[in-house]
Amino acid sequence: MYGFTGKLLRVNLTDKTIKKEGLNPKDAREYLGARGLGTKIMMDEVDPKVDPLSPENKLIFLTGPLTGTFAASSGRYEVVAKAPLTGTIGASNSGGHFGPELKYAGYDGIIFEGKSEEPVYLYIKDDEVELRDAKHLWGKTVFETTDTLLEEVGEDAKIACIGPGGEKLVLFATVMNDRHRAAGRSGLGAVMGSKNLKAVTVEGSKSIEVAKPKEFLNICKSSRKSLKDHPVTGTGLPTYGTQILINILNESGGLPTRNWRDGGIFEHAEETSGETLTEKYLVKNKGCFGCNIGCGRITKISDGKFKSFGEGPEYEAGWSYGANCGVRNLAAISNANFICNELGIDPITMGATIACAMEMYEKGILTKKELGRELPFGDDEAIVEFTKMTGMREGFGDKLAMGSYRMAELYKHPELSMSVKKQEMPAYDGRVLQGMGLEYATSNRGGCHVRGYLTSPEILGIPAKLDPHVTTDKAAWLKTFQDLTAVVDSAGICLFTTFALGLPEISEMIRTGIGLDYTDEEILQMGERIWNLEKLFNLEAGITGKDDTLPSRLLKEPIPEGPAKGLVAQLDVMLKEYYELRGWDEESVPTIEKLEELAIK
Amino acid sequence: MLVKYFAYIRDYTGGKEIQIEHYNSLRALLNELCKKYGAKFESKVFSGENLSDEIIILINGRNIVHLEGLDTKLQVEDVISIFPVVAGG
Amino acid sequence: MISPEKCTGCRTCELICTFHRSEEFNPKLSAVSVMAFEEASVAVPIMCMQCEDPSCMKVCPVNAIDRANDGTVLINDEKCIGCKMCISACPLGNITYNPRARTLIKCDLCGGEPQCAEFCPSGAIQYKEATPTNLEKKRKMGTMFKEVFGEVGF
Repeated sequence: MYGFTGKLLRVNLTDKTIKKEGLNPKDAREYLGARGLGTKIMMDEVDPKVDPLSPENKLIFLTGPLTGTFAASSGRYEVVAKAPLTGTIGASNSGGHFGPELKYAGYDGIIFEGKSEEPVYLYIKDDEVELRDAKHLWGKTVFETTDTLLEEVGEDAKIACIGPGGEKLVLFATVMNDRHRAAGRSGLGAVMGSKNLKAVTVEGSKSIEVAKPKEFLNICKSSRKSLKDHPVTGTGLPTYGTQILINILNESGGLPTRNWRDGGIFEHAEETSGETLTEKYLVKNKGCFGCNIGCGRITKISDGKFKSFGEGPEYEAGWSYGANCGVRNLAAISNANFICNELGIDPITMGATIACAMEMYEKGILTKKELGRELPFGDDEAIVEFTKMTGMREGFGDKLAMGSYRMAELYKHPELSMSVKKQEMPAYDGRVLQGMGLEYATSNRGGCHVRGYLTSPEILGIPAKLDPHVTTDKAAWLKTFQDLTAVVDSAGICLFTTFALGLPEISEMIRTGIGLDYTDEEILQMGERIWNLEKLFNLEAGITGKDDTLPSRLLKEPIPEGPAKGLVAQLDVMLKEYYELRGWDEESVPTIEKLEELAIK
Repeated sequence: MLVKYFAYIRDYTGGKEIQIEHYNSLRALLNELCKKYGAKFESKVFSGENLSDEIIILINGRNIVHLEGLDTKLQVEDVISIFPVVAGG
Repeated sequence: MISPEKCTGCRTCELICTFHRSEEFNPKLSAVSVMAFEEASVAVPIMCMQCEDPSCMKVCPVNAIDRANDGTVLINDEKCIGCKMCISACPLGNITYNPRARTLIKCDLCGGEPQCAEFCPSGAIQYKEATPTNLEKKRKMGTMFKEVFGEVGF
């Protein structure tokens, strides 16, 4: 098949063997690549009940058939494993340059098995693949590790690695690549750390070919033009980055404030907004590989106690440390975010866990003695300090490293954790955006916004204008969004392209790229197949329909002020409809008919 | 009434917000604002007689497409927020 | 003309360059390469500048390199014997070798419609003559270097 390289690397870290094996073409036809194919491999090879941090869990890096091609924003790859934070299937997607380089080296992906006794890294230069000693890298930050490795293996290599967060098994550690890009959510960096695998370096000089070059070029050209002409992907994202969402969510009353307690309006939102970031701290835009949009921000805080330099923050990180912690100082928010990238931890969960600790402190559940300092909402120094301590597992950071659910549960107040399946929900209040509430409850990796981003129709009016406050049709919209997103992630392109492109364009890229005559409907069904397989993995792992829920705060505490005053998340209505549309029973188990329809065994 | 501007709409208005006297309907208010800020602002807000696809307008936090659109009646204490279509995630 | 201050480092130019010449994606076979300097927040697309006085042309022992009427410096694959002297001679490193096809890779401006310029998302690569107003650009660029090299990191 075109688009793919047709080869996988299988690296056993226990006995240090490296095998090159063929990609199963049937699996690729049914699950495409990246997220879908990774889940299929997990399902075939790993017991879903496995302890995520044990050698029996596998860690898979996988590209998609469009990764590294002229398809717009084709810099994506996926990291897949059973996730330590949630106990669900974990699949995290990242941009940058690492994924394409892996394909240029001749591999669609790498399957890591077992556990090395001592720290190692995997070196790849085309056909040359070897495990190398990484003792000298252990303890180093993401940036230090990257710099050291580039000197060791050559400047043209691309690096993916973990920081101290992953080494110390912080349950929301990230796998970082190209310094600032993250396979960020659900703790896959800790899986990498548990295997004593510090990094992967890759350099390649091989070619990727597509099935129908002329047709492929045409659809890529017109797609790139659509992206350029669309107000969001052509103007909004390049000008302001994702942080631009702060003000519109705040004005809509959907920006969760102070651990979701104060409803959806943060009085200092403007100070933390994308407009302010652009005006005060933006140095330059940065694009991932092959990207037409270029939403990445290189930012710099030039002076003061939060003086620092890095990339971001993205909207969800800006929110988690900002409105959610009641912090108005954008310099501190940016600094905390940079530290997450350096230490290799997820800023969404980190900020949200600190916000949870702030509420526990305010309620007297956590004390100054225990924390080592005071921790009121709005404390800008605390977010930076506790981020460092968590990445290094020092002091109270050792408890924060468990994520908000386990921390709050330890003090008998799990209801204060704003999480679903133990993963923190990001920056959109599910009481105001009813569809996003359903998305959090049903996402196969817990509280997550990028499985079915209903914010797009509910707030931004793309591709249709849905009223955020009502539940009508949200289940059907969400199902379509979740299935299409599974396709986009599995193809190896960026989800942001879907602001301007729809199923027909994405399908055409896949068809002409790999040379199989799928209809648009069959491609969307592939997304549904992936979604159902993820659900089956979770069910076997013991994550059931009971876990498809929201924190009681969202279900019972009405929004106290603003345009959505008085609303709670009306989950039960939507969830029932959603299960029916999915062809699942009331306990969220896919029916035999559904599985037959999707050809899942 | 308070009118707030966001993102690159601020390039046309030269400011983040203004207090303005009461107008009966959103259409009347926008016509006044177009007079005040000129053709570029107008081209972002209107597409012919209709609201442009590139604009989002909230009244007290509710998108006007879920209210009465351009014909939505305005009260003295209303807050009107004007955004270009933006996104993130 | 190249404006590094606009370059986002996305390497779309590398992709379209290799696809245009041989219908494959492979940055290592591209006539344009983006050099990214993380610490300085600078990325610069580097490609053949179609020199006024090309060393490659002078050094070629079989006269396979010539200047076309429109000023483009072109390699004639039929005449080329693959000695790679031009690679050594180019002071900018803008000629490389494709070992599989056994041909040299050098920008030929795609016959007058450079694809890299057409698809560059940020306008960092444009196909036009450099003008005297570029002094302003150079100053901006210089200031950026000054800032980033001044103080970086924690």
